[in-house]
Amino acid sequence: MLISRPWLQNFFDVTLPDAQAMADALTLHAFEIESVKGEILDVNVTANRGHDCLSHRGIAKELSAILNISFSKDPLAKKGTSELQKADNLAVSIENPILCSRYIAAYIGGIKVGPSPDWLRTDLESVGQKSINNIVDAANFVMLNIGQPMHAFDASKLTAKDGRFHIGIRNAKTNEKIETLDGKTYSLADSNLAVVDRNSNTILAIAGVKGGKSAEVDESTTDVILESANFDGIAVRKASQALKLRTDASLRFEQILSPMLAEFGMRDCIKLILKIAGGEYKESMDEYPRRQKEITISITASEVNRTLGTELKEQEIFATFTRLGFPFELNNETFAVTPPFERLDLNIPADLTEEIGRISGYQKIAEMALPTFPKAVDTNKNFYTAEHVREQLISVGYSEVYTSIFSDKGERAVINKVGGERPYLRASLLDGLTEAVEKNARNKDILGVREVKLFEIGSIWDAGKEQVVVGIAGENEEPSELPLQKYANELPTPASYENYPISKTERYRPFARFPFIVRDIALWVPDLSKSEAIGDKSQSFRVPATSEEREVEKVIKDNAGDLLVRTELFDRFEKGPKVSFAFRLVFQSSERTLTDKEANAAMENIYKAVRDRGWEVR
Amino acid sequence: MPRGHLHPISSLIREANAIFYKLGFTIAEGPLLESEWYNFDALNVPKDHPARDMQDTFFIKDEPGSVLRTHTSPVQIRYMESQMKKGILPPYRAIIPGKVFRNEATDMTHEAEFFHIEGLAVGEDIGMANLKFTITHFFKELFAKKNSSATSIEIRLRPSFFPFTEPSVEVDMRVTGENIPEKLRGKWIEMMGAGMVHPNVLKNSGVDAEKYRGFAFGMGLDRLALLRWGIDDIRLMHSADLRFINQF
Repeated sequence: MLISRPWLQNFFDVTLPDAQAMADALTLHAFEIESVKGEILDVNVTANRGHDCLSHRGIAKELSAILNISFSKDPLAKKGTSELQKADNLAVSIENPILCSRYIAAYIGGIKVGPSPDWLRTDLESVGQKSINNIVDAANFVMLNIGQPMHAFDASKLTAKDGRFHIGIRNAKTNEKIETLDGKTYSLADSNLAVVDRNSNTILAIAGVKGGKSAEVDESTTDVILESANFDGIAVRKASQALKLRTDASLRFEQILSPMLAEFGMRDCIKLILKIAGGEYKESMDEYPRRQKEITISITASEVNRTLGTELKEQEIFATFTRLGFPFELNNETFAVTPPFERLDLNIPADLTEEIGRISGYQKIAEMALPTFPKAVDTNKNFYTAEHVREQLISVGYSEVYTSIFSDKGERAVINKVGGERPYLRASLLDGLTEAVEKNARNKDILGVREVKLFEIGSIWDAGKEQVVVGIAGENEEPSELPLQKYANELPTPASYENYPISKTERYRPFARFPFIVRDIALWVPDLSKSEAIGDKSQSFRVPATSEEREVEKVIKDNAGDLLVRTELFDRFEKGPKVSFAFRLVFQSSERTLTDKEANAAMENIYKAVRDRGWEVR
Repeated sequence: MPRGHLHPISSLIREANAIFYKLGFTIAEGPLLESEWYNFDALNVPKDHPARDMQDTFFIKDEPGSVLRTHTSPVQIRYMESQMKKGILPPYRAIIPGKVFRNEATDMTHEAEFFHIEGLAVGEDIGMANLKFTITHFFKELFAKKNSSATSIEIRLRPSFFPFTEPSVEVDMRVTGENIPEKLRGKWIEMMGAGMVHPNVLKNSGVDAEKYRGFAFGMGLDRLALLRWGIDDIRLMHSADLRFINQF
């Protein structure tokens, strides 16, 4: 959520630190900060704090606790509207209190709709909102200020019966239609909650999601009915998902709000409208069938310290709860905390431990070694076996791969794969392995391997069950697979693990992905070693590299240019005083596809250098 | 015959196991095709809760209630449950390496299937101070041991939210030293999620949540491999490309 520093300043008498300092404080004690741009912070409110922190007030409250500065102008500190159960010209009926625990409607007459004052427009625009008119902006401001979504209906567009308006909250009928403020038409399901004009039985809004066009506030509006309600989070979430319509309001209701918040929203919104649009507040109706219950959570300093591994004193915990503005009583070492109404995330002692941990700071927790494990550590037979198989296969030249478990055939499939390709869970490793062998075989020259041999240890879904199998595939063998269990059965129960080697590689080097070109060169070179060592003739292929081989290779490399990426001797024989060498050269660019012309040019350079030495190209 | 090559993920798991085994951690395991109970409900992620949206889940056709596990955390429950059934009370210590799945589009830093490693320690006397030690120890062994003595490893905990831990934290690591790749050097890097096991998770596993507490952590092994070796594309892990694997 975008949070403006000047906006936050409204809640404090003292000057707030700069935006970056606030970002750092929030990062270490509350929320991750996505970005800081000038005076605007993008705060990543966690899913457990949507109840109270999707608002400037919520973030301000956090900062007051973290920075230990007085939260002098908390809009939730004093009570909201007095609860009116009777209004002469306004009625509210809630069909199902489970889905709507509270609905406050208020009537304001004689307003003048027009542009918002500069401060309001600036505030809204600074956090990425569009200014519409003073009424809509006021409702929006209240939501971004304290977190309560608000809505305004043009009263003249509702039907009054005997001078009385009647708002209803009920489930929509299947296929009931509504045109929303953005001009789109939605067809509702009976699980969607609707706000309706009971007198005309027309839908005014998709509850908690979006208002309808039929009662839109426009320039001609003089009287408005304001809504401050509490809709069920799950119902709003389902409606929003089904209609593919996410709004700032639905986002907040989904997180579940306290019904207590509604009265503060209404109080603030009435006040703001009267201030910027004039008019007169007439009356309000507060239908509140399901009241929020107050809870008390008990915790002691020793419990906190046991979980955190700290040695916090009682007075430090006392101070932290005070900074957080939590009402509490301390009796015989037990803190009995009554969480503020908007903190619906606080339910069990561990929740309070987290509050203490994060506000006093996790950096205060010292590292403490784990106590010695009092039992023998179990050795996992499957892991032991897999490691054994890995080592066996690697020692005979197989390399390990992991391939996707998704396949184009199998017994089971996922229903919601992005793109929809290969939705099946593989019934065998062999297709993936065979494909991998073919792919790698094309790269043999650049890899410098004589034969591609691969294995994978992975899960398959076959004959109704999931099991781990070992699959083997290579260029010169039929691919095969066996359950890991088969290997395990052959092995003894291990007392400990073998000490197999780990990778010694320091850094990975990205490889070129463009096609390579292979050229061979064969040439006659006088046998220089002959005069030195007589036994050399019997020397076996490649071991060790002779001085001529190294010299020839050097001449090739020095004259081939940057595109030569690999040289390999693949043939050597002697005839009389001369030695024949055949090298395979691989050319590749990391930036583009090479042309034959480029490879030819490099070869010409090599031929020339070789001939200059008096060597003979075969 | 030249030796073949070990996949870097397997190398990391081998190394992690060696480090944790010495601290008393065993290896626990569970199925990749998991029930919603183990993957979500037992981990204190209620149905229709926004927290379930945090992880885009693959659901299985014609098998309601089955998912490809989105994390290795269900094995926490499975492991504790199996110990309790055998009559073995805590302390427990286990690591859980294995494949997990998220239903999202893939790019250089995102894969639909990747590897996690989870750690769990439960006992009467386990606190966040032990968590801090354990994670620091692991990173020191992993990042500082092979490098010069000038290398130092620090971690910091930041508040976060996971339904299955309370308190929940994000763990950042900072490596300083000469031989550290520039991308890593001196910067706080988000490494894993962790926290104290939520009492409901202990209860759902049959463990006395009054008597015992525990810590848990979980992190992506692919990402760890990327940082460790400077690998530029997470999709290489499942590429089966020897131009990649033969470098390890």
